[in-house]
This record gives sequence, structure tokens and C-alpha cells, in this order.
Amino acid sequence: MTAIIVGASSGLGRALAGELAQRGHPLLLIASDARDLQALAADLALRHEVEVATLAMDLAREVDPGARILAALASLPPATALLLPVGLSRRDDAFGLGAGAIGELLAINLHAPLAIVHALLPMLCERHATVVLFGSIAAVRGRGHNVVYASAKRALESAYESLRQAHAPDVLHVQLYRLGFLATNLTWGLRLPLSPAAPATVARRVVARLGKGSFKRYLPRRFALVALLLRALPWFVFRRLRG
Amino acid sequence: MGAMSMTHGADRRGLALASAQLSSFDRQFTAQAQVQRPDRYRLLDALPLDTPRIARGSGVSYVAASFGSEAVSQDMGSFDRLLAFDIRTGLVCVEAGMAIGDLQRFLLPRGWYLPIAPGHPRATIGGCIAADVHGKNPARDGTFRALVEELQLHVPGHGLLSLDAHHDADLFAATCGGLGLTGTITRATLRLRRPPGAIALRRVPVANLAEAARVLREAANAQVLYGWHDGQSARFGSGVIHLGLADEEATPPALDTSPARDLPASIAPLPFTVWNARAIALANSWLRRRWCAPGMSVAPLASALFPLNDARWYFAGFGSAGLVELQWLVPHPRFEAFAAALGECVAREQPRIALVSSKLFDGHAHGLAFDGKGIALALHLPSPAAPRQRAFCEQFTQIALAHEGRPNLIKDATLDADSVRRAIADFEVRRLALARYNADGRFRSELTRRLAL
Ligand SMILES: Cc1cc2nc3c(=O)[nH]c(=O)nc-3n(C[C@H](O)[C@H](O)[C@H](O)COP(=O)(O)OP(=O)(O)OC[C@H]3O[C@@H](n4cnc5c(N)ncnc54)[C@H](O)[C@@H]3O)c2cc1C
Ligand SMILES: NC(=O)c1ccc[n+]([C@@H]2O[C@H](COP(=O)([O-])OP(=O)(O)OC[C@H]3O[C@@H](n4cnc5c(N)ncnc54)[C@H](OP(=O)(O)O)[C@@H]3O)[C@@H](O)[C@H]2O)c1
Repeated sequence: MTAIIVGASSGLGRALAGELAQRGHPLLLIASDARDLQALAADLALRHEVEVATLAMDLAREVDPGARILAALASLPPATALLLPVGLSRRDDAFGLGAGAIGELLAINLHAPLAIVHALLPMLCERHATVVLFGSIAAVRGRGHNVVYASAKRALESAYESLRQAHAPDVLHVQLYRLGFLATNLTWGLRLPLSPAAPATVARRVVARLGKGSFKRYLPRRFALVALLLRALPWFVFRRLRG
Repeated sequence: MGAMSMTHGADRRGLALASAQLSSFDRQFTAQAQVQRPDRYRLLDALPLDTPRIARGSGVSYVAASFGSEAVSQDMGSFDRLLAFDIRTGLVCVEAGMAIGDLQRFLLPRGWYLPIAPGHPRATIGGCIAADVHGKNPARDGTFRALVEELQLHVPGHGLLSLDAHHDADLFAATCGGLGLTGTITRATLRLRRPPGAIALRRVPVANLAEAARVLREAANAQVLYGWHDGQSARFGSGVIHLGLADEEATPPALDTSPARDLPASIAPLPFTVWNARAIALANSWLRRRWCAPGMSVAPLASALFPLNDARWYFAGFGSAGLVELQWLVPHPRFEAFAAALGECVAREQPRIALVSSKLFDGHAHGLAFDGKGIALALHLPSPAAPRQRAFCEQFTQIALAHEGRPNLIKDATLDADSVRRAIADFEVRRLALARYNADGRFRSELTRRLAL
């Protein structure tokens, strides 16, 4: 039934919206700019003849995002999936940020997903829904850049564990994907050590696993090996890694 | 390079630039360019106001019109969504980065289509408007501007403007055929037409270009109308006119119309140039055998719209030396003399010409766009930097100028600032009309540099 996508206007979120619409799911799309959301909603509704609602809000500033989502859901069929590909990273996140910027990164990458999950949890449990969180390969081992972003993503993993620990598998499916590089605006222009995956390919895999249990896994799968290597590197080698 | 770190203000969240090596489709110009790929509306505003820029569609212009070493190319590929479609009245509103092949794929099964489409299915709606492209029979359908009901244009510092023939009519007119020099088109509302069930394609052999011009003029109302001609000196101009009429009775053969069949935007060249004199002779005799007998076949409209989907290897065969397309529109009263002079020049210079094609035009030229009344001739020349090829291109331009021809700026990389000023009588007026919207030269590309636009 209805899938809620938080961070739907670009990159992976947009690809997830396309994949879910193609499979006939009604959607609630959330991001900060109504222009992007309305364009995407119109396109999906025309191509796939599905019901698409939008909710524009700035998650760095919204006091109670969960309440607004619950209100927007009132006109839609019951929601059975909450996907949270919302995220923000900055290329100057290397111990040079002020408190405001740190707050914004935490708000988008951690506070908003937590606040939304908290607010929607009773409804999600009632419908045996799936919550999908998106972590990052950047959080495998803390480094001198993506400092705040990776901290938030690591914290999200803790939230995943809490959710699983607190809810029986037949009540709530909790899934966390530790993502490797994706070909989105977030990585545009970066020199990457591995080629980025197409968001559409990742979206297909994520949507195919909705409602199929709880787990934590790497996507694309080859990043599991990268993570293993990163963790295995002796400290004196790891600390020299740049870029 | 990565993001511009100094630009991390609230409204620039997500601004990222990449440095990429871009080449024009004809491979005559390559540059290391900065590319932004905005995927949200706010990112159109994210570049600092004084940053030189140019809108980019799929980059399938023969010339370097959507990039240059001194400007950021704003790649509109993410703005490719359908916004509204009225199946009753035949109006569609789409974002400017949508490829025309994708739009036709959406429209055809729903009983509508765009009657004007360039040969490359990956050309975007923004690119089709900005280059005011023509389709399979410009004499009947006009150029792309004829389909545009309304535009949304992003102008740095002014945001998103809505334009049509009544609101901001001058800016609307300048944007159609404006080569990206008035701003970035973000969306357009287009008027559609009902498609024919199929196209009955007649082949009319012609002995020379003068005869071709006569056949073209007599068939002005056909749905599809263009000629293919042999470019070798011994048979120069002989060929066939493809004349397509709507056929509601026939059942065309099934066609694979999946996106994977579309001609790619960038075609990897073979490591050598296939199109030497011998290969051209072979290809011409094969085409002559296939086409140059009177006959008829029934084709699905989709294949008549994009016949170049089968031409991947033809383009790869130009190798890394690439090609040039020379395309000029010569007024009817001068066409026969032009064709004769051209035939003599070909006999004298013996250039390698891989393809000659002809089309009929019956409009009038707006701005710097390619339109008017007459016959347009397009020539593909391999390895244009080779001395003999280059000498021929120069002479061709002189012959076209002497016969009052009008060049297609979006196709011909051999044009320089001087010849376009000689060819287009009111060039300076047209240039200034565009410059009104580009006073600080913020919009620029290699094409605008070469032609001093
Ligand atoms: C194989 C082939 C066949 C072709 N057949 C034909 C044909 O039959 N008829 C014909 O007329 N042309 C034809 N063309 C030319 C082609 O259709 C045009 O050059 C067209 O503009 C390419 O579209 P694009 O989206 O790739 O634009 P680009 O090449 O990226 O840009 C072309 C121009 O449009 C501007 N532009 C692009 N998008 C926007 C936007 N959103 N807002 C403002 N300006 C924008 C750019 O700044 C640039 O000046 C052909 C080209 C090829 C390679
Ligand atoms: N791309 C990668 O290589 C990569 C690698 C590892 C992990 N990830 C993670 O994967 C997820 C998707 O990444 P992506 O590359 O697809 O990112 P993206 O293209 O930048 O998309 C991020 C989404 O979050 C929304 N968002 C950001 N700030 C917001 C705000 N203040 N209010 C409301 N919405 C906001 C954005 O919408 P607006 O901008 O319109 O607000 C957008 O829809 C993220 O969690 C990211 O951290 C990505």
C-alpha cells in the first residue's frame, strides 16, 4: 500500500519513488521544495497512474515533522512502508564547521529520521510495516572528513538496533542499508575510488526486499568487502589514508 | 574538481561541479568543461550570479553549442519529467531535459505525437526549442517553435519566468532558436498532433539535385519528405526522395521501440576512419541497390521518425577524426545554379562525401534559426581537417554564399564569424536582439565564441 519516502526529491529517494510507483504503490513524497515534489508527483501519476501526495517541509527546521506526515497520510490508503533516504553531506565537514552547520547535518541525517520514526511507530506497528534506514560506508570507520555526517550515520545504526530489539519481527520489519557510492548529486564531481552505483539499480533491490524481514546489509554488495578491508587496516596505515 | 566550497550558503545546499571532457557530436571540438547537473529547482540558482554558463541538453548538437572551456554547462538531464498531459486537447507540458524520443514513446500509444522531431532521439525538448530544430518535412510542419505554446525560463537573478506569445513575447521569440543565450528553459507546453496509423514510404529515384528539388516541391504536403543522394563526383546528386504519406489501412511491421534502441548520445568512434573513398563507393552502391528503384514500403511511424537509430556504426565509422555536417538552405530561384556549381566543385576537388541529404523548407527565418523558403542540402564529410577536405569545405561555403544560402549554425563547425555575417543579412540585428538578454555575456559556449555571438 502507501509508501512514505522522506528525501524523495533527488538521488536514491527519487529512484525509490519511481520503482514503487511502477509497482503501483500510492506514495507520500517528502522533501524541502514543493516545486521538485510536484514535478515528480505529476510525472509518476501520469506514467503509472498511481496516487501521489507531496509534503514540502524543511527537515532542518520543522519542529514536529511526524505530526505533519500523519496529517498528510489521512487522505491516502494505509501506509506499510517508511523509507528514509533523506541525507545531507558537505565537502567541508572536516572539523571546520560551526555549531549551526553541525546542527543542520545532525538534524537532517539523524534527528529527522528519529523524530519521524518515533511519531509514526504506533501506526507502522499496527500495519506490520517496514522501516528502511540508509547508512553509509563513510560510517564504517571515522576519518578526518565527513566527520559529523558519519557520526550521524553511525548513530542511525544504533537506532536500527534499538528498533529491532524493541519490536518482534512479526510486528515491524526494520532494514538498514549501508550504502556505498551512488551516482547522485552527492557524489557529482568527486574522484571516487570505486565506480558509483546507479540509484535505480539500488532502488530496485531495496523495493524488492520490502516486507521481507529485518536486516542490515551493504548495497551494492561489493562494499561489504570494502568495509571489511577498511576495518582490517592496521591503525598506522589507516591514519595515513587521505581523500 | 569537487564542489565550490565557498558557495556553501543556505540556498546552495547541494551545489556540485564536475570537470569533464566534452566533445561535440562531430568531434571537431573538445574541451575540459565544468559541468553542473542540477537535480532540484533551487540548484538552478546555486551558481554565483557572475558565473558564465550555458544550458546543456543531451549534447547531441554537431557543434559545441552547450559547452565551452569558459562556462559552466548546466546539464538539464534530471529535469526530464512529464508535468501535464491533456489527452483530449493534445497539449503536453514537460520539463526541458526530457529526450524527444522518450516523449514520443509516451505519446504514441496514447494517440498523440510531436510532428516535428530531429533525427536524434536523445535531443532534449530544451535543445529542440533553443536550436529551433526541423523534422521530417519542414515545408509542411515548420520548425519546432510552431509547437511551443508556453515556456518557463530560468534567468539568473530573476528566477523562473513564464513566457508565451502574449506574455514577454519578445523574450519568448528570442528563446526559440536562441541557442541558450536568454536563459535556461525549464519546462515547455507543446501542442501535439494525431499520429497516422503508419507511413507508406514511397521511393522516387532522381538523377540529380535539380530533379530532386522538383520532386520535393511537388510533394510539399507529405508527412515525411527528404532525399538521399550520392556524393561521389561521377554520380553526384543522383539518389532517391523518400516520400511518406499517412496510411490508416496498412498494418506496419512490429517495431522494438525500447529506449535501448535509441541512437546513443555519445558514440564511441572506431580507432580508424572507415569512410575512405572505397568504403564510400561500396556504401553508396549498396544504398543505390536498396533504395534507387521506384517502390513502396509501410513503416511504423516511430521508425520513420528516427531512422538514424540504425546509424550507430555509420557515425562510429568516422573515427576519432570525426566529421562535419555542412547544411545550407538555398532559395528556390538559386538552387539549380547552386547545385550545378557544387557538382563542378565536387568534380574538381574530389572530396570524400559520406552522405548528401535534401529537404524542402517553406517558412521564414526567425532570429538566427535555420528556416526560409528553398531547398536545404546537408553533406557529411569525414576527416574534415585533411587538406583536401578542408579546401572543399571552404569552397562549398563560398558557393553557398554566392547563391544566397543560409547556414545551419547548430550543425556546421566550419563556419566562422565572417561567413555567417555575410550569409545572414540582418545578422547584427539578430545578434543584438539576443544580446539584450545577455548584456553581461553570462551565457556563452564555444559556438558563441567562434561566431562572436
Ligand atoms: C544524428 C543527428 C541528427 C540530427 N537531426 C536533426 C534534424 O533532423 N533536424 C534538426 O534541426 N537538427 C538535427 N540535429 C541537431 C540537434 O537536433 C540539435 O542540435 C539539438 O539542439 C540537440 O539537442 P540537445 O538536447 O542535445 O541540445 P545540446 O546539444 O545540449 O544544446 C544545443 C543548444 O540548445 C541549448 N539548450 C539545450 N537545452 C537547453 C535548455 N534547457 N534551455 C536553453 N537552452 C538549451 C544549448 O545551450 C545549445 O545552444 C541532429 C543532430 C544529430 C547529432
Ligand atoms: N550518494 C552516495 O554516494 C551515498 C553514499 C552513502 C550513503 N548515502 C545516503 O543515501 C541517502 C540518499 O543519498 P542521495 O545521494 O540520494 O542524496 P541526495 O540526492 O542529496 O538526496 C537527499 C534527499 O534528502 C532531502 N533533504 C536534504 N535536506 C533536507 C531538508 N533540510 N529538508 C527536507 N529534505 C531534505 C533532499 O531534498 P531537498 O534537497 O529537496 O530538501 C533529497 O530529497 C542519504 O541518506 C545519503 O546520506 C549516499
